Amino acid sequence: MTKKTKAVKSDFAKAQRTEKIMGYMLALPAVALLLAFTVYPLFYMFYRSLYDGSIITKNPKFVGMENYLALVESKDFHQTLTNTAYYTLVTVGITMVLAVLIAVWLNGKRNRKVNDIAQTFLFTPHIISMVSVSTLFLWLMDSNNGLFNAVLTALGFEPYSFLASPDTALFSVCIVSIWKGLGYYVLLIMAALQNIPTNVYEAAEMDDTPKWRTFFKITLPMISPTILFVSVVAVISSFKVFDSISVMTGGGPVNATNTLVYYIYDYAYKYGKPGQACAAGMVLLLCVVVVTYVQFLVGKKRVHYQ
Amino acid sequence: MQGKNKTLDTCINVLDILAKLFVILIMAFPFFWMISTALQTLKETISVPLTLWPAELQWVNFVEVFKKIDVLTYLRNSIIVCVSVVTLQFFVIVPCAYSLAKYDYKAKPLVFAMVLLGQMIPMQLTFLPVYFMFSKAGLINNYLSMILPFISNPFGIFMLRQYFMQVPTEIIEAAKMDNASELKVMFKIMVPMVKSALITIGLLSFISNWNNYFWALIMTNTDSVRTLPIGISLLKNAETLQRWNVIMAGNLLLVLPMLLLYIVASKKIRNAFVYSGIK
Amino acid sequence: MSSISLKNVKKMYGNDTVIEGLNLEIKDGSFTVLVGPSGCGKSTTLRMITGLETVTEGDVFIDGVRVNDVAPGKRDISMVFQNYALYPTMSVKENIEFGLINKKIPKEERERRIKEVCEVVGLTEYLGRMPANLSGGQRQRVALARAMVKEPKVFMMDEPLSNLDAKLRAAMRVELINMHKRMGTTFVYVTHDQVEAMSMADDIVLMHKGKIIQQSSPAELYHNPNCIYTAQFVGSPQTNIIDGHLPEEIKLGFRPEKIKFREMEKEEGITLDATIATREMLGSEIIYSLDTKYGVLMCKSDVDMPVDSEVKIGVAYKHMYLFGADTYRIEFTDELKETISSVFGGARND
Repeated sequence: MTKKTKAVKSDFAKAQRTEKIMGYMLALPAVALLLAFTVYPLFYMFYRSLYDGSIITKNPKFVGMENYLALVESKDFHQTLTNTAYYTLVTVGITMVLAVLIAVWLNGKRNRKVNDIAQTFLFTPHIISMVSVSTLFLWLMDSNNGLFNAVLTALGFEPYSFLASPDTALFSVCIVSIWKGLGYYVLLIMAALQNIPTNVYEAAEMDDTPKWRTFFKITLPMISPTILFVSVVAVISSFKVFDSISVMTGGGPVNATNTLVYYIYDYAYKYGKPGQACAAGMVLLLCVVVVTYVQFLVGKKRVHYQ
Repeated sequence: MQGKNKTLDTCINVLDILAKLFVILIMAFPFFWMISTALQTLKETISVPLTLWPAELQWVNFVEVFKKIDVLTYLRNSIIVCVSVVTLQFFVIVPCAYSLAKYDYKAKPLVFAMVLLGQMIPMQLTFLPVYFMFSKAGLINNYLSMILPFISNPFGIFMLRQYFMQVPTEIIEAAKMDNASELKVMFKIMVPMVKSALITIGLLSFISNWNNYFWALIMTNTDSVRTLPIGISLLKNAETLQRWNVIMAGNLLLVLPMLLLYIVASKKIRNAFVYSGIK
Repeated sequence: MSSISLKNVKKMYGNDTVIEGLNLEIKDGSFTVLVGPSGCGKSTTLRMITGLETVTEGDVFIDGVRVNDVAPGKRDISMVFQNYALYPTMSVKENIEFGLINKKIPKEERERRIKEVCEVVGLTEYLGRMPANLSGGQRQRVALARAMVKEPKVFMMDEPLSNLDAKLRAAMRVELINMHKRMGTTFVYVTHDQVEAMSMADDIVLMHKGKIIQQSSPAELYHNPNCIYTAQFVGSPQTNIIDGHLPEEIKLGFRPEKIKFREMEKEEGITLDATIATREMLGSEIIYSLDTKYGVLMCKSDVDMPVDSEVKIGVAYKHMYLFGADTYRIEFTDELKETISSVFGGARND
């Protein structure tokens, strides 16, 4: 400690130098992980989509665009795309309409205590594993002893096999997603509703505005940015659907519920065609990029009230 | 007039409550059905008309679950994965968010873009290349393959960055004047200031990892490392004749921890999800 | 022993030079106030002394030791920030203790110092509280205590009173002056408020656009400004400047409070005709704006006159400042006195 000042000095000089690289050093671990698990996989997926060979093949063969051509020609893949689109439209459409209506309803002044309870229950399924929710609905929709069919029979209808019939299987899967996700979107839209300043409503009341007009002319426009934003979130999460398909239908019957992620999974692991799976992955990537870009455009144009 | 209006209002009120109770019923009844089924005998589950509530609570169904699948191993694996992700990510996302909020360097926009990209690209998109990577590294059926990809939680970095940016720079300077080192400033001053954000991030990441079925399905194929969602889903497949009472009992094991968490911290959890949804 | 000196200091942000060729001596034990409008470089100067900003060129010395390469925490300096910058997650005691722990001061010593400081600033009963539960004045005290407890060589304060209300601010001014007297440490204080500077400092450094305009005692600054900028910065209303009537672009200045409502003898000063345009009653004194043929002049007086009255006003030679074309002060020679007398008609007209 005899050369204390000198030690102190070099300390600071070093600190000043490290100050510059400190920013990098602190970000490094996260950057390394993001590179490994987000950036690199995207490039690798494209690279692998140009090769043929199974998962265990040591030296896959370069086949150019063949995997993509196979997708274009594959009826299964067309069906998969249609299913994904149908699933997305139905799930997001119904969820959003219900969520807006319920949110506005539960945000009203009537019976506040019940509103709170209803909101708590609405949200519950969102934090439950999709595996359990799917299994539960599998049981509810069971063609022999399921509750739904018991109710149908009691009402004098024929029992129906919701998931075993190609006509209703996909819609049944949609119902499960809607039931599980509804509360989450209600919650988000309610948060937006609570951000509308009350004096806007007071002004409307002073103008003797009818309730439906207040809803369409004030409430809806004020929360429209949130609705659009949240819809995009819902669309992307619909693209990701896998768990419910895997547990409830396995893509069947006859491909009726096969969606993109499940297709990728099947082709990679069941059919041993990772090249084609990666090509399908690139299609999914394209979908995500397009939707995100739309979100970006909407976000740019997004009107900021107040 | 007054009286008439009042009766009308009471009528609407009653209808309003009934409608809301109906919504509650739709959301709650499946859970009730799950619990009820889990406590019924096999015979009760297939009887016509259906049994609303078992004559005698069949706790033995849970014993059956333990006989069918190795619940304890799955549970242990779930806990290992969840706890590791929640704690390890702390050491990765805190420095990164701090660096993005309070340092200036050339590549910062690039780092931030990468964080945004991470938020945008779902795991369901990158799983195959990541699988290849772990496969090459011999890490399939290894906890690491289920932990590492979730440590650089991009949402967490984004949220913490927002919080750090709100901390006045003067507080950091005051600490420098007080001769505190860089690491001390970060962990002694900054981290306690963003505690609520850290709790939010921890909660969200615990819930999503506990429920994560997809990733565990991709990265594992032996029971010794598989997590609870996989184990419980196997319960259904292991049966030739579906014993729904046992299956529901098994699922209750997976669901109950989350339900309890929700009962304890309902408001906090909902606020966390609001934040993650709207940003 | 704790003087500070800056030699040829230059500070650049990117390509912008905010301070150039700055030379500053701060005497040991002085209460030095850096004052100037926002953006004049006073805070940057303070931060370069603390080490929170690096010096682009030049040297900073504390006690004759070059400290350019010494970390802020090792310069033996304490600082009170404008927004106090208390650590919000630590109690009052932990806030005060934080720097001492970093300095590895033993526990008994820490306890003794905290006790002492808290008695001085009156925080003893609040030690366990969190900053969020304190009033603005109390937070200010914590910030002071946190700075004092380190027993630094130099005390830095960056606009520490600007977040307080007027009454509390006045009280704190007195307290800071007493504190300085008691401690005898060098204080360096930054403010944009000339009243604060005048009332507290024993040495004022007036800055403008990154340069020191004048460094002197408050009295000297008021009575002897070295340029128009200084003359107008200190005092309210601003010093009157009459421009365009004297040869060689010489400008004539005098303070509003020096205008008398009477004619002056030829040897004593000049006399002007004026009309009272506006009148602001401040209580003990009244501020008038006067229309004259040389422009509007401000006047501060305890004489009560109605608006619109036509008056004769006089300004004595001894209260006049003359500034050259470059706005710097020039000497008041007999020759110039003659010129002024003839231009403004110093003699009685009757």
